Amino acid sequence: MTEDTGATGPGPLGRALPRTHDPRLLRGDGRYVDDIAGPQRGVLHAAVLRSPVAHGRVTRFDATAAREDSGAHLVLGPDGIARHTGPLPTFWRLPGQWQHTIEVATRTVRYVGQPIGLVVADSRAAAEDAAERVEVSIDPLPAVTDVDAALAPRAPLLYPETGTNAAGRIRLGDPEADVERAMADAAHLVTRELAVQRVSVAPMEPRGLLAEWTPATQQLTVCSSTQVPHPVRCGLAAALRLRADQVRVTVPDVGGGFGGKTTLYVDETLVCLAAKLLGGRVAWTEDRAEAMAADYHGRGQRATARLALDADGRFLALDARVRGDLGAFATQGGSGPFQITGLSLEGPYRFPCAGATVTGVYTNATPTGAYRGYGMQEACWIRERLIAEAARELGLDPGELRLRNLITVGEMPYTVRAQTTYDTGDYPATLQRAMAAVAERPRVRTGRLRRGVAAVPSVEGTGYGPTALLEQIGLEASGWESGRIRINEDGTVTVFTGAVSLGQGIETALAQIVADRLGLPLERIAVRLGDTDTSPHSDYSSQASRSLVLCGTALLRAGERLRARMDALAAALLETVPEDVRLEADETFRGEKTSRTATWREVAARGWLGWGRPEHDRIRLEESVDYDPPDITFAHAAHAAAVAVDLDTGVVTVEGYWAVHDSGVLVNPLIAEGQTVGEGLGMALLEEADCDPATAQPLRRGLADYPLPAPADVPPVEVAHTRTPSPHNEGGFKGLGEGGILPVAAVVAGAVADAVPEIAAGLNRTPLTPYRIWTLLREAGLA
Amino acid sequence: MTRDAAAPSTRERTVTLTVNGATHSARTEVRTLLSDFLRHTLGLTGTHVGCEEGVCGSCTVLLDDVPVRSCLLLAVQAAGARVETVEGLAVDGELTPLQQAFMAEHGLQCGFCTPGILMSLTAAEREGLSEPETADEVLAGHRCRCTGYAGIRAALRRSRAGTGQGGGAGEGAR
Repeated sequence: MTEDTGATGPGPLGRALPRTHDPRLLRGDGRYVDDIAGPQRGVLHAAVLRSPVAHGRVTRFDATAAREDSGAHLVLGPDGIARHTGPLPTFWRLPGQWQHTIEVATRTVRYVGQPIGLVVADSRAAAEDAAERVEVSIDPLPAVTDVDAALAPRAPLLYPETGTNAAGRIRLGDPEADVERAMADAAHLVTRELAVQRVSVAPMEPRGLLAEWTPATQQLTVCSSTQVPHPVRCGLAAALRLRADQVRVTVPDVGGGFGGKTTLYVDETLVCLAAKLLGGRVAWTEDRAEAMAADYHGRGQRATARLALDADGRFLALDARVRGDLGAFATQGGSGPFQITGLSLEGPYRFPCAGATVTGVYTNATPTGAYRGYGMQEACWIRERLIAEAARELGLDPGELRLRNLITVGEMPYTVRAQTTYDTGDYPATLQRAMAAVAERPRVRTGRLRRGVAAVPSVEGTGYGPTALLEQIGLEASGWESGRIRINEDGTVTVFTGAVSLGQGIETALAQIVADRLGLPLERIAVRLGDTDTSPHSDYSSQASRSLVLCGTALLRAGERLRARMDALAAALLETVPEDVRLEADETFRGEKTSRTATWREVAARGWLGWGRPEHDRIRLEESVDYDPPDITFAHAAHAAAVAVDLDTGVVTVEGYWAVHDSGVLVNPLIAEGQTVGEGLGMALLEEADCDPATAQPLRRGLADYPLPAPADVPPVEVAHTRTPSPHNEGGFKGLGEGGILPVAAVVAGAVADAVPEIAAGLNRTPLTPYRIWTLLREAGLA
Repeated sequence: MTRDAAAPSTRERTVTLTVNGATHSARTEVRTLLSDFLRHTLGLTGTHVGCEEGVCGSCTVLLDDVPVRSCLLLAVQAAGARVETVEGLAVDGELTPLQQAFMAEHGLQCGFCTPGILMSLTAAEREGLSEPETADEVLAGHRCRCTGYAGIRAALRRSRAGTGQGGGAGEGAR
């Protein structure tokens, strides 16, 4: 299935190797946080008190009964929390956004599930029992959960003192006046209202942590299921008023992240506060109902979008007015996903003029944050629905219209109007390949079943990012990564970097890079991740398709330096010159001229001894490299789908799916393929974390209400990888953690439109549920 | 959660059962789920809890050879039973052919849902269900957010090819 493995030499780089830690996970020896905390004696357990209403003022928090006769060790309410904490910092804001922090102590609740207090007892069950005895009174306030309703006159205000639910606004790309000018004389203009639903990020392992306060040393040690140990440390230090080095965050096995574990949450902060106040260990793992309500949701945006074309079907201008649903408050990353929608609006196409206006909107719903491929997936939806609709209105083949406007190889590197620069890639060839997969597919119509196909290209910004770029867009985080490699005195190799392992196989891929550069077998390499005491600093760790590109490049460089040092040490021992030294497959250095040999282990041991060392040579067999990328690397892809639409039920069945993906040089094609076949069909067809508009109550409270794609929902996906190396790093790497989700909704909608053109104009929001499709069919007189 | 005013002793029972061939006996509250009993009382944390409502299948164990959701059973219901969990599959650390196939085909990513899937597929193989039946019906009882099920299906195919139990076998099972 996969072609062009990318293997470039005899080493493990580019080989489809099984992952090094799989046997442990398969035996049931995973170490997820509740596996560590659950069976331990002496660990107390927390339950979080949450708001049952979407908007209201907490007027009473009476824990008398809970404290007196339920065995609770600690009950914290808004006043107690306020006494001991400060707010959490944010790092990405909109111009005009007054809210710079997240309150930890809550007296006004603004979404169902918002933490109000915490109860700690001997077991989770006892803590839940005690929590039921806390008496909380809330004066309800009017609530609003829809972004457009929130912006309407006389809408209930979440922060009445500001006079609006708009948090702030930014224009990205070309100014509005330029776009209007470009559109004024266009031969064709397509305008649509395009929405992407809120989704629950829903990793199979919910969030959880084990916090321990050691009174003697005044240290907080936190084992947390997180993607970002350093930001968690930073947030905890700020909220609990500690020095950064009083807090250590470690990351055990993580049962999936998908963006949902990329920040420190208020409830997690409360658990750490409880550990500090009690002077011991407190554990908490949320249940699925809490995860649905309280984990920051992904997506949630509306856009008024316009595409202008000339008489020949060439794109003239693209514009989107995006209303992003921030939820109850702006999270640490806040409007970031919506801003990325604006910055990646143009995708793989040539636009003489393009821009987006992004408004962040407060609503009485769960705050929103990162979810796999954020911003880029929404942008792809907007762009590709407009293009497909333009083709339909003009009577053109949508594939032909796309090919006419795709950026070609000869135009690379190409700077889009939003000022990012694509490095490499043959976008038309990739799309043509995906189109070919479905071109010959018979679109058989049997009775009330209609069939259609579509192919859609996408481009994925990966390896975020150059720190100077983050500074330029006002994102208060660094983009660099470090890699540190130590050759131990016994010749084994330990690798430290800022990435975190959450199922993406990063430890294996990084080990392959190091093994390749050192010339050792994979089993010599141990990769240690996720510990703020030992891992290099990282503001982003593992998210945004960046670990392989950034940590990988840092380690590649560190590996080359260390190998050169080992060659020099070996040469001294073998009484020859480094150029004469060869490392054999049996881990033995051989001096060609002197015919003497020394094992890798002997050379390492001698290195640490320092015997015979020239005065200015480094001693420690350790190299550390900081890598701040010169630019973003852009992966690209094209997906194709064949669907059947049942005119009686509105059910869309995906009968075939193809992905052509280019992420530059692949370190491990087996892992790469797994990353490419993601969960995108859930967003396209099934998942929506919606609220009842009348009561503002969330409608999805567990996996019985929230349909994650089941095996029958996901057809076999045929994946092909092409390889266009990135020029920005010597490995030629591009990221691929999110590409698999970007075009999925757009390609499924395109295929539905192909099957039933009568409803194409109404395919404006996801998920394309049977009810939504059936409603459109009925309106079209087909159902 | 119930709010029982009775003394804890009347709310507790001693549960004796065998897990992976070893007999265990422990006091537990009658309301304790089998999943929590296995994980927290016996320390067998390979069985994972993903939803606590019987949807995701992560907590699947075998109870007298039958796959069950351990989050939907009380520990007291398993008294006297023979329970098998993921920890019992590999013998002396040697992975079963199914586990090896999961590794070879990248049938797991974060690994959280994997133990439950392994137990269901192991039971299906013992029952003689064919590979297509297993892929269509047994796997349907599991949710995986990472893999898109591709690697899992491939692992199932590989393990059956290795044991000669490919398509067509097992008519009349169940």
